[in-house]
Amino acid sequence: MAHALGAPEVELALSVHRCQSGAFERLIERFETSLFNYAHGILQNAFDAQEVVQDALMRAHKALTKQYDEERVAALALRPWLFRTVRNLSLNKRRSRRGDHLDQPLADFDDNRLGPFTNDTGDDFTRREEAEMLRRAIALLPVEARELIVLRFIEEMSYADIAKTLGSSEAALRGKVFRALKLLREALEKGSQPCDVRPH
Amino acid sequence: MRCKTALTRVDAARTGELEASEHRAVSDHLKKCRSCGDSLDDVEKLARAVKSLAVAPLRSCCDEIDHVDQIDDVWIAFSRKGLRMIHRGGTLQEFAQRYAQRYGCALEPGKLTAPLRKQVSDALRGEGVDKPQLDLDESSELEMKVMNTLARIPRGEVRTYSWLAEEIGKPRAVRAVANFVARNIVPFVVPCHRVVPATGGIGSYAFGSPAKRDLLRREGVDVDALEALARDHVRYIGSKTTNIVCFPTCKDAKRIRQENRVPFHVAAEAIEKGFRPCRRCRPFAA
Repeated sequence: MAHALGAPEVELALSVHRCQSGAFERLIERFETSLFNYAHGILQNAFDAQEVVQDALMRAHKALTKQYDEERVAALALRPWLFRTVRNLSLNKRRSRRGDHLDQPLADFDDNRLGPFTNDTGDDFTRREEAEMLRRAIALLPVEARELIVLRFIEEMSYADIAKTLGSSEAALRGKVFRALKLLREALEKGSQPCDVRPH
Repeated sequence: MRCKTALTRVDAARTGELEASEHRAVSDHLKKCRSCGDSLDDVEKLARAVKSLAVAPLRSCCDEIDHVDQIDDVWIAFSRKGLRMIHRGGTLQEFAQRYAQRYGCALEPGKLTAPLRKQVSDALRGEGVDKPQLDLDESSELEMKVMNTLARIPRGEVRTYSWLAEEIGKPRAVRAVANFVARNIVPFVVPCHRVVPATGGIGSYAFGSPAKRDLLRREGVDVDALEALARDHVRYIGSKTTNIVCFPTCKDAKRIRQENRVPFHVAAEAIEKGFRPCRRCRPFAA
């Protein structure tokens, strides 16, 4: 199963630093989808998310190959670092976009990519309906709650890694995730009513 | 522990990320307090539902188009490098949609290469696959560990979810690990059907319990005997001559003569009697 379990992340970062052939491609393969989901979670727009991820990966390449020395690369927590880059770029983009379209969470909903990969009972139609409801509910959460939901439940990151990404303590994070879940549940119960409660 | 404290720790406990003492305090509280206990199920349900919303980036220029082929009612997506997704039943359109969601890539009908076809049909026939040739996008570290450990369960044997959690070094994350097993993207080839509940029985399966039972039987597991042991709550079998204790389906356990077999219900019982865990099936940590 050589393909399923890649080299540990430190080694991956180091091989990019040493410009080994194929190393950066492996990095992209490994993280692109995750980073895209995260950016998409913050921006709620597939094209912006794509742009941010491209930008972040280019910056990562430059940093790993040109700007950082070996010692720094070796000490780097690659996954949180990449997520942090995407986060900062996404928030910048969101800020600059705020004027023209203030969070259009329902804009790209009909992209026919609902989540059927679950083994839950219930026919296809109800499952789609439910997925759609959930997607709406998440889109309506405040961005702080939304990004936590994505990091924790879509990317399935550990609390330790999320703490490194966001620069917060694990204990505080547990409370924040709990509140984000509570907001999500409330939003689901309220249906598609806009939700203006802040998580803090 | 108060409800409020417990509730904020439920999610971390689910994935086994709390300190041992804290984990114990939370699970004790969840057992006692019904409303908090319900909230664990609730968090789990939400987590599963949210996970299914993951999207793949739109790839405008795929350097390689992946292909799809069929063996009986099983759809198989593959690339030049290996198998990428397997699913039994449904239409091609449903399968392609699933694929697009996971990999952000379209599928074209194609022909499986002979070695790949052999792997899948061997797996379906219950012959087992030693080294599955896979081309999975890298996912979370935990998920990769789960897949690798699954692939190491020998044909003709079964393991429990708690064993799996223990093996990957996350003994407290049984539920999270079970979720990864449930959404195995390449079933049959990576043998998620070889994991059964510790309490006995065959457990559920993406393609139905009877299919799991059938597959295990074809791999040489004596399913009825296993269930009979489970009814008596026997979880380990020891040997009087060697003082070694195994899982009942371990190759070495099957060689123990009838008169030398010692059944055990819990690990502690075996340790107390001076038995050591088998080094091959590693039923529990020594």
